[in-house]
Amino acid sequence: MKTNRDIKLGVSLYSYQDNYYFHKHDLEGCIAAAAGSGAEGIEVFADSMIAEWPYITDAFVDKWNGLMARYGVEQVCLDHFADRAMWKNKQLSDDQLFERSSMYIKAARKLGCSTVRILHNEHIGTGFSPVRLTDVKEVERLLPLCAELGVMMALECHAPTTIDDSIHEPYLEVAEKLGMPFVGLQADFSSYEYCFSKAGIGMMVRQGATEEILHFVRNSQREAYFNGVPFVYDEIKHLVEKMNPNEVDRKILPRIAKKSPASYETLKKYASKLVYVHGKFFDFDENGQVDNIDYPKVLQALQEGGYKGYISSEFEGNRSMNDIGWVDEIEYVRKHQALMRDCLGYNG
Amino acid sequence: MYDNHILTDVGCRNVWENGKKVGYGVNLKINYYRGLPLCCVDEIALEVDGEKVDPADMVVQHRGREYPYLEILKDDFPTDFYWVFGEMLRVVIKKENGIAQGRHQVKLKLATRRSYTPTMSATCEKTLTFA
Repeated sequence: MKTNRDIKLGVSLYSYQDNYYFHKHDLEGCIAAAAGSGAEGIEVFADSMIAEWPYITDAFVDKWNGLMARYGVEQVCLDHFADRAMWKNKQLSDDQLFERSSMYIKAARKLGCSTVRILHNEHIGTGFSPVRLTDVKEVERLLPLCAELGVMMALECHAPTTIDDSIHEPYLEVAEKLGMPFVGLQADFSSYEYCFSKAGIGMMVRQGATEEILHFVRNSQREAYFNGVPFVYDEIKHLVEKMNPNEVDRKILPRIAKKSPASYETLKKYASKLVYVHGKFFDFDENGQVDNIDYPKVLQALQEGGYKGYISSEFEGNRSMNDIGWVDEIEYVRKHQALMRDCLGYNG
Repeated sequence: MYDNHILTDVGCRNVWENGKKVGYGVNLKINYYRGLPLCCVDEIALEVDGEKVDPADMVVQHRGREYPYLEILKDDFPTDFYWVFGEMLRVVIKKENGIAQGRHQVKLKLATRRSYTPTMSATCEKTLTFA
């Protein structure tokens, strides 16, 4: 149902990936699920749920527009990917990658999306991606097209980066230099994880990690967060050592022990400048709260900071839990939308 | 993630021509949360009853077309043939006399290249009944 609120709620169809993969729901089913959860916006992964991708026919556009109308929702964002490593021994040139990125932006326009989540080179920091993704030079080349079509490139600032990380700045500078304000920051709630989610525990245990150690570290993270002190792994390291961590634990611990939430004050300060937000979540605790991100605080910061735009549910617990059975994505998203409405005061 | 599901039990059967078995086929699903161009397949390796299948004997059937498996690995293979998310990719193994009807132990290794993570490899082993 469409509203005139400053902060609107959407669903990234990524959230329903198992339903799609296992053919429980097609594109329409996923849109119906999103609309049924109370969301008014749809983020679409063309690479996943538009079967004729990478080309979009007028017939598909008509179908898409029909779905938007039938379910009373609107399209808000299309996800861009930068598949440079196309072949074993050869990669796309900058010109070829530019052409592909243009294709995503034109597709977004065709489907009526005003935003493209651009897979920029530093979206999960540096040193992880084996190939150069969409870098500043590439974004500079894409800006005139975005300006012409009125499509905003959202730079997803995913953990371990944050919205105020200086690695995202050159993109904004180039937009300013050209006088084309068509690239902006996108917050992803992964930056606000204060502990790891229990959704991941089962999978890590199945991979050989020690359950007691994982719970101990997670509880220590939670204790630190709710006591308002930073979590310092080195302070509990000697206690973990006493629990005889195995090799799998030793591999996992440095990764999961890093969690500490980015500043809510900074989020509030940046809120009015953000162009899109991913409401990432993995699982809920027994009180119906997201079990590793402080949603009331995060949403308060966005609201008080004057954010205007969409927050889209991005359920990612499926990937950590689906190796042992069915994960009820539809129910997870339903609860998540209700929680966000609660936090934003939309239920009263 | 989808590792347990990349090898399906759908459509496992002999391929016949003129009353004779000339091969057998299995259907695969992608090991990722989105579809990828076929050229992003880094490796499909099959082992049947402990014996490695020669990649030169494999063909890939995708949306009504057939490509020798080794073709899709070449550095000039088109980038716009997508292995759609959730859709099955049929691999046919050319073999005189096909496979004996009944149960066989099949092991699959599937590796795909993605844009922002290193190449991901998944393995899946199942007992499949071939028709």
